[in-house]
Amino acid sequence: MFFPLNRIMSPAPKDVLGYKPPDGGWGWMVVFGAHISIGFAYSTPKALSIFFKEIQMDLGASYSEIAWISSIMLAVMYAGGPVSSVLVTRFGSRPIVMTGGLMCGVSMATASFGSSIIYLYFCIGIIGGCGLSLNLNASLTIISKYFLVKRPLANGLAMAGSPVFLCFLAPVNQYLLARFGWRGSLLILGGMMLNCCVAGALMRPVTPPDKWTAFAPQTKVEQPNEHNTKIKRNFGRNAKKFLDLSFFKDRGFVIYLIGNVMFIFGAYAPIVFLSAYAINQGVEKYSAAYLLSIMGFVDMFIRPATGLIANSKWIRPRIQYFFSFAMVFNGTCHLLCPLIKSYAFLVVYAAFFGIGFGMVFALIFECLMDLMGSQRFPSAVGLVTIVECFPMLLGPPAAGLLVDVFGDYKYLFFMCGSVIVTGGLFLFVMNIYNYHMLDKEKAAKNNEQGQKDTENQDQAKTSEVEMEQTERNGAQQDVENAETVEI
Amino acid sequence: MSASWKQLSSQILLLLISCRHINTKTSSPTQPPLAPITPLKTDVRSIVLKGESHTEKMELVNPVNLTLECTWTGNQNKLPNITGYWRKDGEEIQNSRLSVQFHNGQYNIQQVFSIVSEENLGNYSCVFGNEAKISFILEAPQIGEERDKPIISYVGDSAVITCKMDDAKPMPNTWNWYRYNGTEKEQIFVAAEPHHYEIINKERKTRLVVHNLTEADSGLYYCGAVYAIGTTMSHVELKVITFMEPLKPFITIVVEVVVLVAAILLYERSQSKKKATAGDGTTADQKNMLPQGDDNATEGSSSMRQRKV
Repeated sequence: MFFPLNRIMSPAPKDVLGYKPPDGGWGWMVVFGAHISIGFAYSTPKALSIFFKEIQMDLGASYSEIAWISSIMLAVMYAGGPVSSVLVTRFGSRPIVMTGGLMCGVSMATASFGSSIIYLYFCIGIIGGCGLSLNLNASLTIISKYFLVKRPLANGLAMAGSPVFLCFLAPVNQYLLARFGWRGSLLILGGMMLNCCVAGALMRPVTPPDKWTAFAPQTKVEQPNEHNTKIKRNFGRNAKKFLDLSFFKDRGFVIYLIGNVMFIFGAYAPIVFLSAYAINQGVEKYSAAYLLSIMGFVDMFIRPATGLIANSKWIRPRIQYFFSFAMVFNGTCHLLCPLIKSYAFLVVYAAFFGIGFGMVFALIFECLMDLMGSQRFPSAVGLVTIVECFPMLLGPPAAGLLVDVFGDYKYLFFMCGSVIVTGGLFLFVMNIYNYHMLDKEKAAKNNEQGQKDTENQDQAKTSEVEMEQTERNGAQQDVENAETVEI
Repeated sequence: MSASWKQLSSQILLLLISCRHINTKTSSPTQPPLAPITPLKTDVRSIVLKGESHTEKMELVNPVNLTLECTWTGNQNKLPNITGYWRKDGEEIQNSRLSVQFHNGQYNIQQVFSIVSEENLGNYSCVFGNEAKISFILEAPQIGEERDKPIISYVGDSAVITCKMDDAKPMPNTWNWYRYNGTEKEQIFVAAEPHHYEIINKERKTRLVVHNLTEADSGLYYCGAVYAIGTTMSHVELKVITFMEPLKPFITIVVEVVVLVAAILLYERSQSKKKATAGDGTTADQKNMLPQGDDNATEGSSSMRQRKV
């Protein structure tokens, strides 16, 4: 009755998840695995840029041709979201992360034998990107399965993998390059990425605890084969929709998506151009490179810290507002950057940039889980990543165009900052509206429930909006219930 | 007649010997070639020194008669007469000592040097007494970006070594490539081994491609930018390694991954076997509540009865 794929929700709030997540125990090992997996996913495309000059010399290609390798990898990683969602829903996280890790390892190892740039596009860009996309989606999904009460903290810790691995991979890559050249380095990097398989092995599927027997009597009523056929039918229906466009009818989802698109558009350009801007302001080359390291270092600690703060009982119910605050903070940093001329203040800017960036990324998937609930999250995140592909690819070149046209970096920061601030404010205002509408609908629905019986068929005929509203209330209720139980 | 022939031949012989002697004498570094032989362009460089020392770098491309002029404002003593002399590369140039007068508040010496070839380049210093010194470093345009890390390449692969002259500096006439074979730099001629080497010169850039690498190709390679005045060099180290070298760490990591994955899965299997033996009956119902996706997840936890969908 409350099987997630049936999408038929029972009125009781606890049924939304179907079980009480462990919120600890082996869950922390899963978080560690997700940390590794997400770490490789986000840091590999950036860390590869260390090899570009060597590859460029050897293969005789231009710098922009080589830079495409990273772009293709990131684009495929994000675009592969929906496919990855379907696979994760079908097979669970463990085999998917192990497959992803294997694909990444193989992609790097085969790339080390390459002698043309197209070969590298295919191996690193497409195969590597597919592997990473499998990793990313599956890791996020398993966190939503293992955690509810401590989910923001778990998300913060797992997302911290990105700056940690970047800080770790950058010097390691330099060393490998000096010792083995780019070919040997890619081979060894492929080996390191096989550790994602270890991360996948840690992602044990959730087994509910024994004490949860409250709903056992109800389930005994249904026949086993009835279950199977229902599951098969519904899975078949959902599998056909790789892009489940029904999500776009969900108000909360659309708001989240718009805000996120605006953020991603402005988020990466300052990172790409920070060193160039610093050198332009007269800072020396190595000091300019330090700015990014400072940002990454601050980011590393801010993500779990943000997760911890978001977990507190004051912030957790208002996590969407906290997310919009983080975005506005990030955008404001960028807007203030052009006023900075000296190196000392640039360091301060880099630190605040790290804080803002870390806060947003610690919360970015937590907010989606909060909106969608654990069942719909895999498909939702797939849809979100494929839509985010576009601003991510368009953002830095658009910013670069601004720099070329005006010859001044300050317009880049103004553009990025204003887009992000607008996104944050949009999220803030629209979330107020969304919660207001949800409260109204909930009140109306409670009146209705008081009057008629709720059966499965009736629920199935009601609109998508109501279903989401129940789901939403259920998710929130679940949080409150779980929290009270914990206390 | 034979006696006069003998005399003539011995005189010619003596003349030849003395001429050669003169030649070797004039090419010694301590003698500045004072009298220009062929008409060269002239150039003047003057420096005024207020402190104790100053260094001036000069890039020369073509042979030139260079007048170097040093002016010193003097120190507290302000002696009316001091000795000034010139040095090249640290050694005093013979016959260059003069007495310098303190005139109009400064000491002034100048000297014309004929800079014709590479030996004439170097560090020329004018020294006032033993107190003040102005150094002129004469050199051909240096290659700016020098690669400090070695290029690593693999046996059987091709390696590309590049050299580039800055856009701000004058263009070289041509490029040469040399290889250090332990004792000296030996020029690489493509014609000698056309299948092994390939040199592509493009005004400011030059590329040396070494095909079919073997471990013997490891070593120092020099690119030389040829100007009328001389050649400036930049070196790069090439290291050729076999594929075994990165393969060893790779295999180590793969083994580590396999061991860890096996350990984790075995640990899980042993844990779930313990649970299964501990309490069996109640667990059967819980499978209804498992979220769909986790049912078929793993072979490791198959000790619990799973519904296959």
